[in-house]
Amino acid sequence: MGIHKVEASDAELVRRVRAGDTGAYGALVSRYRDRLGRYAVHMIGDREDAEEALQDSFVRAYRSLARCDDPARFGAWLYGILVNRCRTTGARAARRRRMFVHDAQALDGAAHADRADRLDWTDAVDRALTRLAPDYREAFLLKHVEDLEYEEIAELTGAGVSALKMRVKRAREQLQKYLREAEHV
Amino acid sequence: MILAALLLMTQVAAQDPRLERLDPDTRTAVAAVVDSAHGAGLPVEPIIQRALEGATKGAPGARIVAAVRRLAVDLGTARVALGTSASAPELEAAVAALRAGAAPEVLAHLRDVRRPPLTMALSVLADLVASGVPADSAAAAVLALAPKARDADLVEFRRAVERDIALGAPPGAATSVRLNAGALDVYGANSAANNPNSPRPRSRP
Amino acid sequence: MFEREEETVERVIQHLRRPVAIDAGLDARVMREIAQTPSQGRRAWPLWPLVAAAAVLAAVLFARPWNRNATSKADTLQFVLVAPQAASVALVGDFNDWDPARAPMQTAHGVWATVVRLAPGRYRYAFLVNGVEWRADPGAPAAKDDEFGTPSSVVTVGGRGS
Repeated sequence: MGIHKVEASDAELVRRVRAGDTGAYGALVSRYRDRLGRYAVHMIGDREDAEEALQDSFVRAYRSLARCDDPARFGAWLYGILVNRCRTTGARAARRRRMFVHDAQALDGAAHADRADRLDWTDAVDRALTRLAPDYREAFLLKHVEDLEYEEIAELTGAGVSALKMRVKRAREQLQKYLREAEHV
Repeated sequence: MILAALLLMTQVAAQDPRLERLDPDTRTAVAAVVDSAHGAGLPVEPIIQRALEGATKGAPGARIVAAVRRLAVDLGTARVALGTSASAPELEAAVAALRAGAAPEVLAHLRDVRRPPLTMALSVLADLVASGVPADSAAAAVLALAPKARDADLVEFRRAVERDIALGAPPGAATSVRLNAGALDVYGANSAANNPNSPRPRSRP
Repeated sequence: MFEREEETVERVIQHLRRPVAIDAGLDARVMREIAQTPSQGRRAWPLWPLVAAAAVLAAVLFARPWNRNATSKADTLQFVLVAPQAASVALVGDFNDWDPARAPMQTAHGVWATVVRLAPGRYRYAFLVNGVEWRADPGAPAAKDDEFGTPSSVVTVGGRGS
């Protein structure tokens, strides 16, 4: 029982935006903000950079909305823009972090300078994620956290399905390895 | 016998009603170029478009004919450089690059280091030269980026260079600065960090 | 040992799937940025002519396939010219036989626009103002080889052609 508020579908909102109702885009942003934000935060590893990437992606999606193939699959299309954008930030952040990649302690220091030095499991997970190669991390997050099908991931990333499966497998193996190491610190 | 051959040769051009916008003499000459290009396996659409451009702009017939002849020759040169598997868009972009001053060897080299289509890479090369970058700098930049850059990255590179030039940078320097600064950082120039509406300033280590 | 490692990865996945709260101010920032910059990233205009132009474009704007790994599909592009004094503006180029009747542009407050669908290729084009004056596109690369004495611009669509 209860009254269900009928929400406009993605396709309907996209249609409205294209017809000139810019405000309708706000509804799409709200709808996807947290979910895409989750991917960006885990992929990039830095909250500020992630929010910047997310903001840029939403703006870019708006500007190229005319090119959205299938408005009913706006979310998947938007994901593609975000995945792309996260790769760029990843490259910048990686250049900053390159000095620390082999020194887990220093990496901890750089990422959490003001934290107490108690090793939290969630911190260990975050650190392990950061240590994954970007394309492994990307594939792992899209498959296991964002629940995309391999075919969808292939479309977003341009990689083949078997290459993606391999990356996800490697990501799992490496995560296990890093977390094992973290237990022994 | 010769008449039949001539009639056959003009088949292609005669079938294109758009050429009727040209005066009869010009039309005949252009049709001949179109047919010989067709016979050589070159794309004819760019040639027709060039003639129509001249027609719309009210250019003298002689100029139109000279333009289409030059284009047909350049398409042939482009095809030698890129190989027979080059598509029509690639050939058109290649002509632009050649006319911008890129040597045929540059085109061949590009073909060796980049998966097709080469259209965007060739176009960006030509466009860089059009904004004032010396041909060899433009060629070097595009060849450096070609193996790994996506089309969109090349476009962003060109835009970034054009912005720098508009802001006063010497064109040759603008390309090398952009190249060395990691020109594949596609969103670097458009990111919120450069946007006055972006959120709070951030401090970086 | 193997089972335990699988569990570890599953724990990681469950942890990562937890919702992440993004600052809700992001919505407002996105909407502000959209409102203040034109859709193709050209120079910024005041809001009202842009909204008016958007309403005009509603009549011509249509969704077309766009593929990230562009194969042989076309791109839909918007061409814009700011010409407040013009009575008519036509877009002419290699994609429409240089025929002014094919792509007359619509205006809102001096902002002229039209939308064209282009297959992969490199296209020369120009704007014909009032049927007599040729103008290049100030926001696009110039077509250097101009054989007919008037300025033209270039637009390139990547991806596979025929």
